[in-house]
Amino acid sequence: MNIFLSNQVLIFLFSETVLYLLALIAFVGTLQILKLWDFQATTPRQYALEKRAFLIVTMIQLILWFKILLLPYFAYTIDKLSLLIPGAMCGAGVIAANPYGNPLLLLKILLLFGIGIWLIVDREDQKAPDYPFFKTKFRFYLLLFVLLTTEYILDIVYFSHISTSDVVQCCSAIFGISGSNRIPFNLNTTSLVAIFYLLYLLTVLLALQRRPWLLFIVSLLFLYFGYQSVVHFFGTYIYQLPTHKCPFCMLQKEYWYVGYLLWSLLFGGVFFGIANAALSVMIHKTSLRLYRLAILFNTFFVILCTAYVLFYLIQNGVWL
Amino acid sequence: MKKLLPVLTVGLIMLIVVILFVSLSKKEDMITIYKGNIKKLPIPIKPDHINDTECRMVIHDTTYACEVIAPNGNTWFFDDPGCMTKWLETKPFKEKAVLWVKAVDTGRWIDAREACYARTDPTPMHYGFGAREKKSEGCLSFDEMRLKMLRGENLTDPRIRKKLLGH
Repeated sequence: MNIFLSNQVLIFLFSETVLYLLALIAFVGTLQILKLWDFQATTPRQYALEKRAFLIVTMIQLILWFKILLLPYFAYTIDKLSLLIPGAMCGAGVIAANPYGNPLLLLKILLLFGIGIWLIVDREDQKAPDYPFFKTKFRFYLLLFVLLTTEYILDIVYFSHISTSDVVQCCSAIFGISGSNRIPFNLNTTSLVAIFYLLYLLTVLLALQRRPWLLFIVSLLFLYFGYQSVVHFFGTYIYQLPTHKCPFCMLQKEYWYVGYLLWSLLFGGVFFGIANAALSVMIHKTSLRLYRLAILFNTFFVILCTAYVLFYLIQNGVWL
Repeated sequence: MKKLLPVLTVGLIMLIVVILFVSLSKKEDMITIYKGNIKKLPIPIKPDHINDTECRMVIHDTTYACEVIAPNGNTWFFDDPGCMTKWLETKPFKEKAVLWVKAVDTGRWIDAREACYARTDPTPMHYGFGAREKKSEGCLSFDEMRLKMLRGENLTDPRIRKKLLGH
């Protein structure tokens, strides 16, 4: 069977194509605006540019919001493809089906953070009467467009290189106990979980002190150790199986799709944690609201992870 | 409170760095094979440091551990005599290999081919074959254990389990 006969792949690629075409139109418009824009001028050209700028900003907003929605749909698509690809039991096998899967997933997450920053800069820009960050946000869009182009090419290359006849590895082989995916830095599970909770406390303390750069670094560490903790410790309580270590299976119906909520909270918390550092570089401003959101998202993430462990312990009386 | 937050922050950062450094300083890679055991003597097994070559489990407990030493001195480790038997069966050196097994009754390393095997021991992979140095009634020779293992007639078969253990 051809992978392009899958409904989810068709919908995903069609959506990506439409959004990319819109992004391309916005890119051309952005180049014109950056070249010809003169806020002091009262010429008909400037008047036309201002109207076009409004249209392009609206287009970019639409594209970026849809891109945010498409990331969970991408996860859903690769999860559904596990039914078609021999050997795959969940999205882990599908993502690892060719060398393009993991870079694509990482790029999508990076792009998500970039999109979030753009939307915040745009919001700050629209709030002020003189649009102080007008050129900054359009220049930043040029960078985003390069990432969007790379992502679109990788999307096509990735899906066109998935074979439905070659056997791929299942998550037990990729993340399991065979030794190929050990806990980093020679940590044992106890130390890993201790670092996870300490980093969480550190993100809260740094957000309370409004330290954008330290929070930036610690949030990235929290992303890494949060991911490792979920795979090696908290995930086993979600699956209620000590040998099941996988970041993808929790996206399935059997686990109440909790993976979507769990990863959204982690990515959200990390995004709000790093956003202020990016904003301080781009527009020399930070936002108290972002600090609060970072604390909120990270706290819900930690509560959700911990709840699985505690419920298991209360129900069964033992640790896994 | 405002003065306390920076102190707490520095404290937490130091704690994280200490945990990471302590973990890194203990860096010991897992072993699956030991080379150069020309004397063909059993190698002491450090718990949580060695992978079973057949089932890939980390050897936590050495009560039922075994070792296979090839003629060239390569040594492989197992947590359960059943794992050793399964793994050895396809190896070209299976007749010439030196086999060591930990005796449950004496705690010593003994020749696996000379050992006597009980059928209902709580071995790590639940095959049930625990080695004994002293022969007792009903225990199996190495060849009998090997045949039962290869036929699947061990505690992992519910019928055998029911017959031997009653549940």
